[in-house]
Amino acid sequence: MANIILDELGFAYPGALEPTLLPLSVEIKDGEAFALLGASGAGKTTLLNLLSGLLVPTTGRILFNGVDVSSQSGSERNLAQVFQFPVLYESLTIADNLAFPLRARKAVNGFSAVDIASRVAKIAGELEIENLLKRKPKTLSLFQKQLVAIGRALMRPDVSVVLLDEPLTAVEPRTKWQLRQSLKRLQEELGVTMIYVTHDQTEALTFADRVAVMADGKILQTASPQEVYEQPAHEFVGFFIGSPGMNFVAIDSAIPAPMYAASGVDQFAQRIGFRPEWARLEHPPMTHPLSAVHWLGRVTHCQILGTQDGVPVGITTLASEVGELKVRGAINATVGEEIMVVVDRCVSFCAEHYVATHYAQSSTSQLTNPVGNE
Amino acid sequence: MTSVSRWVLVFYCIYLLLPLYWLMTMALRNNSDITGKFEVIPSNPTLANFAEIFSNPVWYQAFGNSLSYVVLNTLISICVALPAAYVFSRYRFLGDRQLFFWLLTNRMAPPAVFLLPFFQLYSSIGLFDTPLAVALAHCLFTVPLSVWILEGFMSGVPSEVDEMAKIDGHSFPYFFFRIFIPINRGAIGVTLFFCFMFSWVELLLARTLTGSTAKPIVVVMTRTVSASGLDWGVLAAAGALTVVPGIIVVWFVRKHLVKGFALGRV
Amino acid sequence: MAINKPYNNRAWLGVLPVLLIVAFSAVIPLMTVVNYSVQDILDFNSRFYVGLDWYRETLQDPRFIEAFGRQVLFSLSVLAIEIPLGILVARGLPKNGAWTSVLLILLAVPLLIPWNVVGTIWQIYARSDIGLLGVGLNELGLAFNYTSNPTHAWLTLIAMDVWHWTSLVALLSFAGLTSVPPAYYQAAELDGASKWQVFRYVEMPRLSGVLVIAVLLRLMDSFMIYTEPFVLTGGGPGNATTFLSQYLATMAVGQFDLGPAAAFSVIYFLFILLFCWIFYNSVMLDDNEARHHD
Repeated sequence: MANIILDELGFAYPGALEPTLLPLSVEIKDGEAFALLGASGAGKTTLLNLLSGLLVPTTGRILFNGVDVSSQSGSERNLAQVFQFPVLYESLTIADNLAFPLRARKAVNGFSAVDIASRVAKIAGELEIENLLKRKPKTLSLFQKQLVAIGRALMRPDVSVVLLDEPLTAVEPRTKWQLRQSLKRLQEELGVTMIYVTHDQTEALTFADRVAVMADGKILQTASPQEVYEQPAHEFVGFFIGSPGMNFVAIDSAIPAPMYAASGVDQFAQRIGFRPEWARLEHPPMTHPLSAVHWLGRVTHCQILGTQDGVPVGITTLASEVGELKVRGAINATVGEEIMVVVDRCVSFCAEHYVATHYAQSSTSQLTNPVGNE
Repeated sequence: MTSVSRWVLVFYCIYLLLPLYWLMTMALRNNSDITGKFEVIPSNPTLANFAEIFSNPVWYQAFGNSLSYVVLNTLISICVALPAAYVFSRYRFLGDRQLFFWLLTNRMAPPAVFLLPFFQLYSSIGLFDTPLAVALAHCLFTVPLSVWILEGFMSGVPSEVDEMAKIDGHSFPYFFFRIFIPINRGAIGVTLFFCFMFSWVELLLARTLTGSTAKPIVVVMTRTVSASGLDWGVLAAAGALTVVPGIIVVWFVRKHLVKGFALGRV
Repeated sequence: MAINKPYNNRAWLGVLPVLLIVAFSAVIPLMTVVNYSVQDILDFNSRFYVGLDWYRETLQDPRFIEAFGRQVLFSLSVLAIEIPLGILVARGLPKNGAWTSVLLILLAVPLLIPWNVVGTIWQIYARSDIGLLGVGLNELGLAFNYTSNPTHAWLTLIAMDVWHWTSLVALLSFAGLTSVPPAYYQAAELDGASKWQVFRYVEMPRLSGVLVIAVLLRLMDSFMIYTEPFVLTGGGPGNATTFLSQYLATMAVGQFDLGPAAAFSVIYFLFILLFCWIFYNSVMLDDNEARHHD
């Protein structure tokens, strides 16, 4: 188990015009479930390869438990990796596959055959694959094979960190959630530091204690899933998280600037963002005075996701004076109808960075900024 | 790869190159030079042997004959194999596995077994001593091989492609010739390579089925061997020239070569 | 890639051209051969049905048995060298890079040389009067002469076959090796596997399918070998390097003894068919497995 510190870590391919990773720093605690989330090209695979020793950093260092391992190979760092597709030794039985990492290092670690056998039994038990031990990989389903791959990664009791590179990619959709659950449970029970790389936000947000959202070679925010959802540090985070992500509106058409200065916020915000679930639809005339944040829009599309208390619920897309908006909740309008979008909560951004969170107050309906962020 | 493998590779490359080097030096010396003095590096290189080949009709016609049956064979094989491979890759039908196996057995047939019947067959239909006879005879091996290689590649092309073409309203001929075949360019290239590889190199059948008119290069060279006035220089030059078409073909299909071997379907 | 193939008997239309050509090239001649093999043909008009007599005679012919024995020895010898050598060469090849194309082309060249030219190349190369190898060995004091010494003839033939066909094994093995995704090597490295373990557990499983094919192909093809030994040694000195194909060819063409020649042909062919059957089953089994697990 290791605590990992990335210290101003940067990477550029030799001869490349631009670096793939700009210097970034992040600390991953021992025993933490950590996720690297980003779209393709964000740099997360490069970061993973730097962590696994496949690539050598161009700038900065990587520290495992305070020791600089930047120039060490993957096996010297004592880490394990689970790949996008199950990587097993096809000619060995499942039991031998699991035992391999321990047997290979026997000379170094002094594991006896008995130790190895009991560890195999233990991990197989945790993964509930005891019945597969005598079989060969080619007789297993993809789901089972990936479970074994995860088991292999967990075999060494002193493994520093387990890297997972989009491990659910090859698994059938029906069984993805099962694998996710098993993974989360194992991580908690064994207390292994795990770094999970993915482009799928559901995987990241359900698995991790903390998520690092990446784009264009930078980490935009490292925080708990809750925080990333409610207080995105960067417009991109707001846009990327959630399905659909945030709506963005330029500030001069929303909150009057003097209101900001009055509530003690130094920076001037330029845009606000609100999640579709933070707004609702109301038929005009408004029950609240016009100082609430709202816009008139015409419904262009309704996507029904289900019903609640007999009312259809889903995502409504509207064309408004400030652009296209999406609202999630009760659908009480039809396509072509004109309706008000009322925002109950939003966050403000300046130069794409987070400024403050604003709530609608139920009595006056004015958006205020409570002192401090919540 | 370990360093052992690297060294083996290096030595093997030298092993491959030495006889070829020797062939080239022989080709560049004239016969009296060769039998007179032994030299590792020719002191008097000359192109006379090559000139002899290009000017003597016995030689250059022989090259032409060989090329003509190889080209004929490749054309026939590919044309005939394409529909068969398509059908094997897309459909199941009565007797398909058996048919495929039977095709395979033909590739494995020893040419010596067919010497006699071929000779009689082709003589009786008046094709003896023509490039067509050799081309057809070689089909025995090249057609099954072609079907096999093409089917392997075609199975990797999803049938959705066929369906999309149908949905787009294209007729089957349009789909087959304008869409499907271009997709399989690599496969056809590899097939070409292997057809060439079999037809160009074969001696026994080529010799049996030809007389004086369609005499291929392989025969002229062996005749030269058994004759008493042995001209090593010209022989070497002819040999060197037979290596050239092979190199050209390989150069063109080099990108697909490994994939072709990957199907293991030689 | 598991395509669910629909059942459609009209597919026979597509196969028809192939069928016709191969029938013409194969079935008719084969039937002729089988026909001849059970007859005693004195000339066009007098033929007698003799049943399996020719088969019995052939199988008991001492020269046939000798040729068969030589053939087996030859095939096993070249196989024993070409397979391991081919694997090592393939492992030595860089997986990609500038050299890869060049080396692959170099390896492919011996496969594309007309077989008689292969014989000629080695003739020129190994002769003790004008050959680089021949003269070289004699200079080293070895009294090498493949035209008069049977052992030297054998060694030269084997060396020639290795030169000719190892590339096939190498190219097949290379294709197998390059099909290993890098993740497997990375996983083995993280496991702490030694180089030998990487070869045994990562590479060999991929190679084994390819190797079965390579072994069977080389076994079959070497069993049919004719041209190269014919050009190089002519079957000599004496009978020392006369293998099966050559024996058959002399019988069929030179001596016009059609019956025995035909019987010989059939025996030869049946033997090859046996290999074929094994080959087909192992390849198709591999294929079916692969298609189920994609």
